[in-house]
Amino acid sequence: MEYLIVGFPGTREVRVDGVPHGRTNIVMQFEAGIHVVTLGPPWNFAPLEQKILLYNTAALDPYRIDFRILPPASIPISPGSPP
Amino acid sequence: MTSRARLGALVLLSIVAVGCAHYPLNAPLPPTGDTGTGYRFPAMAVDKPDPADEVFVCLSFSGGGTRAAAFAYGALLRLKDIEIGRAGSRRSLLDEVDCVAGISGGAFTAAYYGLNGPDTFRSFYDRFLVRNIQQELILSTLNPVNLARLASPYFSRIDLAAELYDTSVFEGATYAALMARRRPFIVLHATSMANGAPFEFTQDEFDFLGSDLGAFHVGRAAAASSAFPFLLSPVSLKSYPPAAGFGIPPAVSAALETRELNPSRYAWARQRLDLMAGKEEKWLHLLDGGLADNIGLRSILRAYDRSDGFIAQRINAGHIKRLIVIAVNARTDPPEQLSRQERSPGLTDVFMKTATVSMESLSADTIDYAINRQSEREQAQTNVRLCNQRLAGCGAEPFPTFAQEIRTCFVEISFEGLPSPAREEFLALPTTFALPEETVKRLIAVAGTLLDSSPSFQKLLRALQGEVSPGAGVGERGNCS
Repeated sequence: MEYLIVGFPGTREVRVDGVPHGRTNIVMQFEAGIHVVTLGPPWNFAPLEQKILLYNTAALDPYRIDFRILPPASIPISPGSPP
Repeated sequence: MTSRARLGALVLLSIVAVGCAHYPLNAPLPPTGDTGTGYRFPAMAVDKPDPADEVFVCLSFSGGGTRAAAFAYGALLRLKDIEIGRAGSRRSLLDEVDCVAGISGGAFTAAYYGLNGPDTFRSFYDRFLVRNIQQELILSTLNPVNLARLASPYFSRIDLAAELYDTSVFEGATYAALMARRRPFIVLHATSMANGAPFEFTQDEFDFLGSDLGAFHVGRAAAASSAFPFLLSPVSLKSYPPAAGFGIPPAVSAALETRELNPSRYAWARQRLDLMAGKEEKWLHLLDGGLADNIGLRSILRAYDRSDGFIAQRINAGHIKRLIVIAVNARTDPPEQLSRQERSPGLTDVFMKTATVSMESLSADTIDYAINRQSEREQAQTNVRLCNQRLAGCGAEPFPTFAQEIRTCFVEISFEGLPSPAREEFLALPTTFALPEETVKRLIAVAGTLLDSSPSFQKLLRALQGEVSPGAGVGERGNCS
């Protein structure tokens, strides 16, 4: 098993490979390989999604990715659309 | 009517029967595609844990004809009689079961329980376990009308078997009826004849065929799961062009990008794409599920491993506190005669061995894999907890933790766990759909005995009764924490 932690300033649903999994800032377990990670709504985060390669991790040393929160003026109406 | 006219009518009837006989085609999905409401494990909401997920129990029922069906039934019966929880919230351990995977003979018990719930204990015994299904299949084959139907290239013995199971065991039930019951989620397994890939009767799998599982008869799925090579022909499904709006699921497309790091994930994704029809028509021919996995554990392990797996999702969300997997393994080990003869084995022996040898060798590997996966998670949790305890002592920032520390339990019951001479007696039982009633009764009873004598299962029961705290019993024998 491989381990992933998704950093975000708040608590938000994490979606991996299109399905809801858990929340931000906790350790989650996945199979080795490529995965596509994004967050649940509202769509006030960037980047929109991240493709990661999970391998050679440990529960004490999980792979870490971060999403940042967007200022209100930059929030798109729907994912991928211009603000 | 003269005898000549009668003969003529019979010949005409036979010609019509031959011309018309065709196995029932699986239905295509409606043009609008599946709305996500097909037969799948109920969707999860991260922020709204379902209380049913807290103690998450999955059962796997192996193949082995009536022997396996009766053994699995005995396990269900024992779980029904076990009460867990504290006073005021007592419930049966069977009520906690969330998923059941079934192969071949075990598929009958799994599907019947999925459809009938507690009523199973009133009817399954007479309706399936003590019936001479084998004889009924032979009589059905010898029926003149059926003999004529069997002359059609589009109708074979397995289709007669499917009709028998559908009408006399499952009462014409389709997957729509299973869907209405939600839990436990029943996964019947078959094996693709083309590439040996496992096939699960779920809407997720049927999506790749562009087909609607809801309209599919459970009896036909059970027939596919038990289509033993050489004795029965495969069950055929049509693969339709993908439904409108169907896209390759992200879990599959992501898996296809890295073969080297995770070959089994890649192979799983590749096999899903192989189900899809291209520009030319395509059919999937399914044989006994035991050819790919005779213990039925692999779909449960996939649900634990894969990112789109319903167990993985619930573990990462912190909804599961205790994960229990009970494998009811009816494997046998009859006395070996082949190694005692000098002459080379005949064709029949070779046919039978090629159909069964792989079934048994894969089962042991699957059980090892399940135990290793369980230990891996427990070890990871322990590492994080112990490190954080030490860091707390010196006021340092702790490591991030899992959403929930889960307690895991893996129990396997098999005839190997019996004392002699019962062990040798059960291990020598044949694989057939006709066993003497006395043998059926003993198989039902022995499943309960084996659960009661399993150190892992007893450890689990003490934990569920609240007699030990989580983590206690370290060093005690058994795969349960």
